[in-house]
Amino acid sequence: MNNITVVRKLFRLSWNALMANPMRSFLTTLGIIIGSLTIIIVVALGEGAKKNIEQQYSSMSVTTILINAPSTVDGAASKLSYTDVEPIKQLPSIETAIPQLSGRVQIQYDGQSSNLSVLGTTPNIQQLASLKLTKGRFFTEEENDTHEKVAVIGAIVAEELFGNRNADVIGKTITVGKKEFEVIGLLEYKGGSVGPTTIDDSIFTPYSSTYRYVLGINGRFNMNAQAKDVKLISQAVDEISKSLRETHKLKPGMNDDFRVRDMGTTVSAAVNSSRTMSVLLASVGIVVLLVGGIGIMNIMYVTVTERTKEIGIRKAIGAQSEYILFQFLFEAFILSLVGFLIGCILSFGVYFLLNNLEVSVVLVWWSYVLSFFTTVSIGIFFGWYPAHKAASLNPIDALRYE
Amino acid sequence: MTNTLLSLKKIVKSYQIKSETYHILKSLDIEIKRGDFVAIMGPSGSGKSTLLNIIGCLDSPSSGSYILEDKNVSRLSERELAVIRNIHIGFIFQNFNLISSLSVIDNVLLPSFYLGKENYKRAKELLESMGLSDRSAFKPNELSGGQKQRVAIARALMNNPSFLLADEPTGALDSKTGKEIMDLIVDLNTKQGKTILMVTHDPLIAKRAHSIIHLQDGKIVHE
Repeated sequence: MNNITVVRKLFRLSWNALMANPMRSFLTTLGIIIGSLTIIIVVALGEGAKKNIEQQYSSMSVTTILINAPSTVDGAASKLSYTDVEPIKQLPSIETAIPQLSGRVQIQYDGQSSNLSVLGTTPNIQQLASLKLTKGRFFTEEENDTHEKVAVIGAIVAEELFGNRNADVIGKTITVGKKEFEVIGLLEYKGGSVGPTTIDDSIFTPYSSTYRYVLGINGRFNMNAQAKDVKLISQAVDEISKSLRETHKLKPGMNDDFRVRDMGTTVSAAVNSSRTMSVLLASVGIVVLLVGGIGIMNIMYVTVTERTKEIGIRKAIGAQSEYILFQFLFEAFILSLVGFLIGCILSFGVYFLLNNLEVSVVLVWWSYVLSFFTTVSIGIFFGWYPAHKAASLNPIDALRYE
Repeated sequence: MTNTLLSLKKIVKSYQIKSETYHILKSLDIEIKRGDFVAIMGPSGSGKSTLLNIIGCLDSPSSGSYILEDKNVSRLSERELAVIRNIHIGFIFQNFNLISSLSVIDNVLLPSFYLGKENYKRAKELLESMGLSDRSAFKPNELSGGQKQRVAIARALMNNPSFLLADEPTGALDSKTGKEIMDLIVDLNTKQGKTILMVTHDPLIAKRAHSIIHLQDGKIVHE
C-alpha cells in the first residue's frame, strides 16, 4: 500500500465523516462559500471597471489634454468659449486643439425618433480621436466656416435610425432638433469615447452650424488639445492655463474658471481609484474567509470532542498520530475545498446576474487561483489545531470517554 | 524463538498527586507462554485496568521491565507503542468499540490499514469464519450484540497478533450469547493456538482459562 492509497483512504474516511452530518458540514462551509465567492466577484468587478476605463479612454492618446469648465465657479458662468480655441492652437507645445459643443437632441429620420448626443466640433477631431469612416467623408474646415448643415454619424446612431450599423446612410436627410442635416459620413464602430461623449452613439456636426441651429448657448462647451510630444504634456498644461488666464483676464489670486487635465493623469487617477476599491473589497472577502475559517475550527473542535472515543479505538488498534492528524486535517481541507468549489459555481451565477444588470464584470482565471489558495490555506490553518488536539489524545483517556 | 511470549518483571506503576505517591501496581511478576489462556481476576481498584493497559501497551510502567516477543517494550515512545499494538496485540473490549461510521468490513480492515497493507481477502475470510460474510456491508448499529463482538474479534485477529487481550468480553452480552462468544474464544485458543489474556470478574468465565491470576491491591495474591 503506497502513500497515495493511504491518502485516498484517509480522504474517504474524512469524507464519510462529513457526510454523516451533511447539514452541519454545509453550514460550516457556508462562510467559506461566501468568502471565496466574494474574492472572485470582487476581482471580476475590479477587472470590469478597469476594462470600462480602458474602453472609455481607448480612443484618446496620452498626449490629449482635456479643457473644460467646472459647472459653476463661484456662481459665475465660465468664460471658456470658442474664441479660446485659436490662441491655444498657437501655443508652442500644442499640436492642435478642438472645440466640443455637446448636448442631447431629438433626432428624427423617416418616422424614427431618438434622443442622441450631438457634438459640434472641427474636422481636426478626426485626427485627435483617430476616427475612421466606413462610408462617405468627414466635414471640412470650409463647411464649418460656412455653417453647412452636414453630419457624420456613429455606428450606433446608424443602427437606431437606419436599422443597422452598415446601412446606406450617405445623402439621407435627418432632422437634428428642428433643422435638417445631410448625412455625409458613417463612422466605424469603436466602443470608446471622446471625453464625456461616446463616439458610437454621437452625431458629429460642424461647430458653427451646431451653435447656430441646434444647441446655441444650451450646449456644453469644452475643448480637447493635443500636445506635440509626450515629454511636452506638463509644459502644454501650463501654457494652456497661462493663456486662458490671460484671455479670461483673471487677476493673480483669482481661481481658474476652467480645468485642464492631461489624459495620462486622468486615466491613472481612474485606474487608481478602481484599484483602491478592489483592494478594499478583496480585504472584505478575506475577512469573510477568516470568519469562515474560525467556523471550521469551531466545528472541528466539536467533532474531535464527539469522536474522542473513536480516536481512542483507532489509537488502541495501532493508528499512528499522523493518521489521526491527517484524517481530521483532511476534514477541514475538504470543508474548505468544497466551499471553494461551490463558491466557484456560484460565481458563474453571480456573473450572469450582474451581466444582465449591465454591471461590467470580467471573470479572470487568477481570481480563482487566489481564492483557491486563500481558502485552502485558511482551512488547513484553522483545521490544524483541532486535528493536532485529536492526534495527541491519550488513548487510555480517549477509550474511557463516553 | 523462546516459548515465553511475554514477561513482566518487578512492574511498578505509581502516580504522584501533589506530595502523595499512590502505588497502583506493586512489583508484579508475570510470565505468559505461547498458546496460554490466562484469566486475570480482581476486585475493582485492584489495579486490574492499569495492568491491562500496560500489557496492552497503552501505558508504560513507572519501573520494571516488560519483554514482549524478546523486545523490551517498557521504555518505548508513544509512537513505537502504537506499532507494537498494531502488530502484536488484538484487543477485544467489553463494549465492542466498533467505529459506528464504518461498515463491518471496514472495521475489520482497519488494523491492516494502519499497518500499511490493507488485506481485503483476509478480512473477508475472517468474517466468514465468524459466520458474518453476509453482514460485511452493514453498519455496526445494524448488528446484534453477539454479532458486534464477533466483528470485534475478527478485527482483533486481522494482523495475526501475538496475543488477544480481552477485557470482560462477555460483560455486555446476555448469558446465552456470552457463552457463544466464550466458546469462540476458547476455540481460538485450542484450535488455532492463539495466546489469550482475559480480564474478568466472573469466576465461571475465568474457569475456562488454563490459569488465573488474582490481583489485589496491586499485588498478585495467588496464581
